[in-house]
Amino acid sequence: MDIDDILASVDRGAGASPESAALDHQLLTRFWVAERAVSEVLPWPVPLMERMMERVRRQIETIEDLAASSADTDSSITTTTTHNPNLNLRLSILQTDLARTQYLLRSLLRQRLSKLSKHSMHYLVQLASRNKNPLLASSSSQPTQTTTSSSQASTQNLHPQDSVPDISAVSDPTPLSQPEAAFLHAHQSLLAGHYAGSFLGAFPRQLRRLDDNAGGTSMIQAPETREVVFVRCLGVEVPVAVGTADADGMEDDDEEEIGVTMRMGDVWVVRWEGCESELQLCSPVPPFHA
Amino acid sequence: MAFPLPRGITPSEIAFLAEMEMVTVVPRQRLEGLELLGGLVEPLVPPRRASIPLWLALLLKRQRRANIMPPAWLHPEPLGLILEVESQHQDYKNAFSPPPPLPGQPSVRDRDLEPTARPQYTPDGDRYYAAPPFLPQNTAQPVSSFSREPPALPFHWVEVSNMLLDAASDDLVDPDQIRRQLKDLREVRMAKMRSGVDVLDAAATGGGGVALTGVGAMEVGEERGFVAGVVDNLRKIGASKEQARREQMAEQRANGGYDGTQDEEEDYMEF
Repeated sequence: MDIDDILASVDRGAGASPESAALDHQLLTRFWVAERAVSEVLPWPVPLMERMMERVRRQIETIEDLAASSADTDSSITTTTTHNPNLNLRLSILQTDLARTQYLLRSLLRQRLSKLSKHSMHYLVQLASRNKNPLLASSSSQPTQTTTSSSQASTQNLHPQDSVPDISAVSDPTPLSQPEAAFLHAHQSLLAGHYAGSFLGAFPRQLRRLDDNAGGTSMIQAPETREVVFVRCLGVEVPVAVGTADADGMEDDDEEEIGVTMRMGDVWVVRWEGCESELQLCSPVPPFHA
Repeated sequence: MAFPLPRGITPSEIAFLAEMEMVTVVPRQRLEGLELLGGLVEPLVPPRRASIPLWLALLLKRQRRANIMPPAWLHPEPLGLILEVESQHQDYKNAFSPPPPLPGQPSVRDRDLEPTARPQYTPDGDRYYAAPPFLPQNTAQPVSSFSREPPALPFHWVEVSNMLLDAASDDLVDPDQIRRQLKDLREVRMAKMRSGVDVLDAAATGGGGVALTGVGAMEVGEERGFVAGVVDNLRKIGASKEQARREQMAEQRANGGYDGTQDEEEDYMEF
């Protein structure tokens, strides 16, 4: 064996073995189910998605090679087609499998985009505030506190576009991926420009901001974290937490109340906020079903 | 819009998930092992049984390249037993029959044993617990272990049985009888689901929840919109009450008098 071969096999890494392929497939499926069921955008699993995309790319190459070889044998020597009668079957199985995985990925991304465009201001403000000031990070999910500039809004000559936070300096776009963050900003800028052109431009200046919170009501729509989800408990016991993030923005993890406790194998209808922390702590992880 | 489908898995997506279940097939022709994105498929050698995903089994079955062994629960006798538990048994008047145990979970017969969750580890080092559709709940088991474990309906029972009855009814034992039993089961369980609407209020309070243990994926999918809508509206109605209760508890906590037991009894409710 050549040293290059050894290097190549190392390059393929642990992610290339069939067992990890099966495991990654299960993880991707679970992530898709969770993303489809939950109102928030879940943290983007960078390593998993990188492995999946790499695998899809390699599988497409394999299929193309196989298809090319079958085309070759068909045209040159017809007798060799009997040599491997299963080639077409194998090809169709590989293609079906590929299409199923691509469906998962596509549906996942589109669901995320739809959540992002629905709550675009919320996520932009969240990204911008966390990266500007780490102290604000804990309250970043509270849109009422993040519009620091709205008090001077009336004094400036404002366009609705100016209220779109600039996230070009953001280095860590969690929970989004980098392209998603770029999409989010471009989308919201276009939208703000459109609003300005169609009706906001005719408004008085102090009413032009998209993140206006005059009168104590924020105009930014946040995803509803109190919606119910169906969960199955996979750990031995998982307590359902109550009120981890209160409406007034107080988060106190030490004193959080514990509601019901789910036992292993149980399926429950509970609030998303109650088990969200368990999902993110991964210990133990309840999966989200249907 | 970026995505037209409503949130929460739609019935066709549930069926898509169910197609990932592993089933047992008896191949009729050779096929070398394949490295799929969903994992390795073992080589098919004619008289030997093999476990492959349901979508692949259906693909082979439609081309008459394999026969599907019916899952252990998809026979008239186990279905009859489950139907009896579901409709006659005292303990399950308002609950679904117990689901097949997860790996590490003791079976229904010896429920006093402590469950031990056995995690796998992902390449990123996180813990991972397998769940349907990635557990062998629909494979044809040998008769010996089947007699020890009481029969149970797997999570994807509606979808798997529908697909098998549709595409491989000649591989099933007495498909007409099975069809009748499945219909009875559906009706009994749907009645339970509907009569349980009363306790949904528990899920609307913070930290509360409603147990649906034993429910099937398609049944969740059917009821999801309704249940979520009801609970959502109940939550909105009770929002001010909950806020008041929370403030009261915060006050009590500040005084050091809260012992956390005041609403225990109303939180745990079962269908």
